Amino acid sequence: MLRYIAYRTLVALFLVWIVVTAVFLLLHLIPGDPAELLLSQGGIAADPEAVAALREKMGLNAPLWQQYIAHMGGFLSGDFGESFRDGTPVIGQIALRLPRTLEVIAGAALLATIFGVPLGTYAAIRADGKADALISLLSSVALSTPVFVVGSVVILIFAQELKILPAGGFVPFSQNPLEHLKLLLLPAGTVAIALWAVITRMSRASVLEVLQRDYVRTARAKGLGRSRILRRHVVRNALIPVLTVLGLEMGTLIGGTVLVEFVFNWPGLSGYLVAAVDARDYPEVVGIVMTISVLFVFLNLVVDVVNALLDPRISLVKS
Amino acid sequence: MSRATRKLLLPGAIISVIVALVLAAPILPLPDVRGMDVTNRFAGPSAGHWLGQDEFGRDVLARLIWGGRASLFIAVGSALAAAFIGTVLGLLGGYFRGAVEFLTVRASEVVLCLPPLLLALLVVTILGAGTWPLILALTILYTPNYARVVYAATLQIRALDFVTAQRAMGTHPLTILWRTILPNVTPPLLVQMSLVVASAMVIESGLSFLGLGVVPPTPSWGLMIRAARGAMEVAPLLLVWPSLALAGTILTFNLLCDRLQSALDPRHVTAGGALWLRRSPRRSGAAGVTGNHRAANPPLLEIRDLSISVEAGRQPLELVHDVSITLNPGETLALVGESGSGKTLTSLALMGLLPDMLGVSGGRMICAPRQGGRIDLAQLDEDGFRGLRGGEISMVFQDAAAALNPVLRIAEQLAEAIRARSDLRGPALHSRMVELLRQVGIPDPERRLAAYPHELSGGQRQRAMIAVAIANNPRLLIADEPTTALDPTIQAQILRLFQQLKRDTPEMGLIFVTHDLAVVAEIADRVAVMYAGEVVEQGPVAEVFARPRHPYTAALIASVPEGRAERLTAIPGTVPQPHAMPPGCRFAPRCTQTRPACSARAPEVSIPAGGRMTRCIRWKEVT
Repeated sequence: MLRYIAYRTLVALFLVWIVVTAVFLLLHLIPGDPAELLLSQGGIAADPEAVAALREKMGLNAPLWQQYIAHMGGFLSGDFGESFRDGTPVIGQIALRLPRTLEVIAGAALLATIFGVPLGTYAAIRADGKADALISLLSSVALSTPVFVVGSVVILIFAQELKILPAGGFVPFSQNPLEHLKLLLLPAGTVAIALWAVITRMSRASVLEVLQRDYVRTARAKGLGRSRILRRHVVRNALIPVLTVLGLEMGTLIGGTVLVEFVFNWPGLSGYLVAAVDARDYPEVVGIVMTISVLFVFLNLVVDVVNALLDPRISLVKS
Repeated sequence: MSRATRKLLLPGAIISVIVALVLAAPILPLPDVRGMDVTNRFAGPSAGHWLGQDEFGRDVLARLIWGGRASLFIAVGSALAAAFIGTVLGLLGGYFRGAVEFLTVRASEVVLCLPPLLLALLVVTILGAGTWPLILALTILYTPNYARVVYAATLQIRALDFVTAQRAMGTHPLTILWRTILPNVTPPLLVQMSLVVASAMVIESGLSFLGLGVVPPTPSWGLMIRAARGAMEVAPLLLVWPSLALAGTILTFNLLCDRLQSALDPRHVTAGGALWLRRSPRRSGAAGVTGNHRAANPPLLEIRDLSISVEAGRQPLELVHDVSITLNPGETLALVGESGSGKTLTSLALMGLLPDMLGVSGGRMICAPRQGGRIDLAQLDEDGFRGLRGGEISMVFQDAAAALNPVLRIAEQLAEAIRARSDLRGPALHSRMVELLRQVGIPDPERRLAAYPHELSGGQRQRAMIAVAIANNPRLLIADEPTTALDPTIQAQILRLFQQLKRDTPEMGLIFVTHDLAVVAEIADRVAVMYAGEVVEQGPVAEVFARPRHPYTAALIASVPEGRAERLTAIPGTVPQPHAMPPGCRFAPRCTQTRPACSARAPEVSIPAGGRMTRCIRWKEVT
């Protein structure tokens, strides 16, 4: 088990290196001068003096390998430079906003799992019945509706028409816990809808497969009750692939809450990224992208380790 | 047209309509999408503007159609570009492998390390907003998807004989790729295509919504939703139309993808559900216990004319026909036959564990439980069976590796079996588990209890399986080919364990399912030979072996390798399929002693001697 975890960690570190390098290459190997690209807007050539100043500031005049080392060094020490916009260290903003984004994702994952696993299991037990068809239709619709559409419609319904929840905004938890959770509900719920569809479908497929397994028949042969077989033998085994998918989806969400944060005015990391992109604030964009990517890789590592703990065979097979 | 293909028509038709609409946008009699009419801003539906007017008084319907044109152009364009690049990378990587694979497929997978929306944002940061940067970003994003799919398909096809033959004949690799492999990877490509278009639309609309995608005044659904949000209080419908258009289109593409997948891959059909988990009883719940104590010493089990059929379909198909077996306490009956003879189905029926599509379609299975009385197992529902499993009837399954839950320790699986029938807990439970493992001959039971099934050897797993089955001292133990999956030395050990069990529990009845006559001779008192769903001969083992009364039994005995015999006489021919049973004797087509009368009608059961039966009309002459 320990060997397996060590192995997965090494793979994850390697991936982090790949990502950090890829971001560097993306910015430096594309045709054209990054500084010029950053400063030119819609076909209007940039002011050559400004470009020269920016090149100096970005260290673009140094040889490529020196820039690469500086880039890696900055990453390792958590120093992503200062924002072009206000000159504050990028890392500070990231530290402030990342928890807020994670909060939305965690809330969504919780909601999606609470509703998704039981419904998916139920659909599997009643496979090809009416309830199954309805759940399948609902999940298709949920999967096909982009998150900003869900968010906008949810605001229209709950804030505009019913007036039971605020349309958006943010209050720190320390200031007003109740209001904070109330404000969290709509963004987390919006993200949860698509996630719910994924979890429900995955649970259904996974339970269907486990139901065909011999050990479920053994459990019945023991004379165990339905609910015990369902909990201990069917759902427990079926959950392993579901958790994998949940972990991967959460990873994707770390960078994918951009739209939700924008819709609900939630000052998280992703929203900050959009502002940075909009302002073409190079250090901010690079800092955020790398933070998110590293979290993404790290989350996949956690998924692997949790899987190995849940299914003791995994650590044998893959290491 | 198959059902799966028919199901493609609906999403296909909707997509055709959408595509036709957006293609025809310039020639449709639509108002100018940029034509403002500020006096009529937020006007509702009217004759000139079917869906009303937006915040600048522009026609909503026209903007919807032109917006769809922009969205689809970007989504389809990038899906095609990504398909082209991805296919080339995947083909090259899959065909040449090695360094080429690393440079193509693996290199493109680096993109997958980044969350999709993030990557798109990164590209837009560098290149600025607009249609073409968006197409570039989406192309980069989806190239690895295609590369992976094509790569996997290419690997598969590359290994096929006809490709190897072409390579051997010196055909140029590019010709092979173009002519042979590409047509074969088209199906998975199509599925991927519809998936990518849908997912590209999600990202495109999202970026446009953020103001980083399509640049106004070009209409786009994302931009329309963005604008409508600001006017939500005045005109909520403005939000509804583009939302519906966007979600509906994406839904249709997703639907197309799902159905393409099931049309192209028939195996995709799911085998559904679990009847036993649903609480609706199949038969009248009052089944079972009759107070009839006819005999002072009733048989443990009396099966009369048992039939098992496939319930699905118009006509039920009989898989097991008129099986009659009697088993007394302490007796061991071997059920012998080739695979497909119905021996496993018969034993599963005794446990109520038949697969969902099968059911008992006739006959009785009278069982005499401990507390007295008699129960007809054929009338029991799931709950009725539950009361008997473990304590009265128990089963050892063939493949212990699959029959034990891989993620639970042996202790957990043994404990729940014990606790299903008793209230043992704590140290008493533990010592009972140790005792059981010792009884089945597992060394060092204390430590083995903490092991997972995969940490045990094959023989030990089967022993653990047996421990689970005998945990509650069942009156009837069914062993379904318990030695088949094991190697010969272990087989002999497990067989000795069963003999030991019989000595330890003289009252227990044992049904031993096997296809191995040598095993029968060692363990059973009586034998029932099954062929094509019927018991063709039954009787005491020694008598049946000495003087078989059915040609099939005789042929089976002849096919057992005796001593150092080099040759194995196999029975020519195969077991007939249930839907194509011969009209007369089911063994007649393979029988060496057949007469015309054999094929005329199904043979009656004959009783050659006390305790014996045969289904052969010529039993007197069997050699």
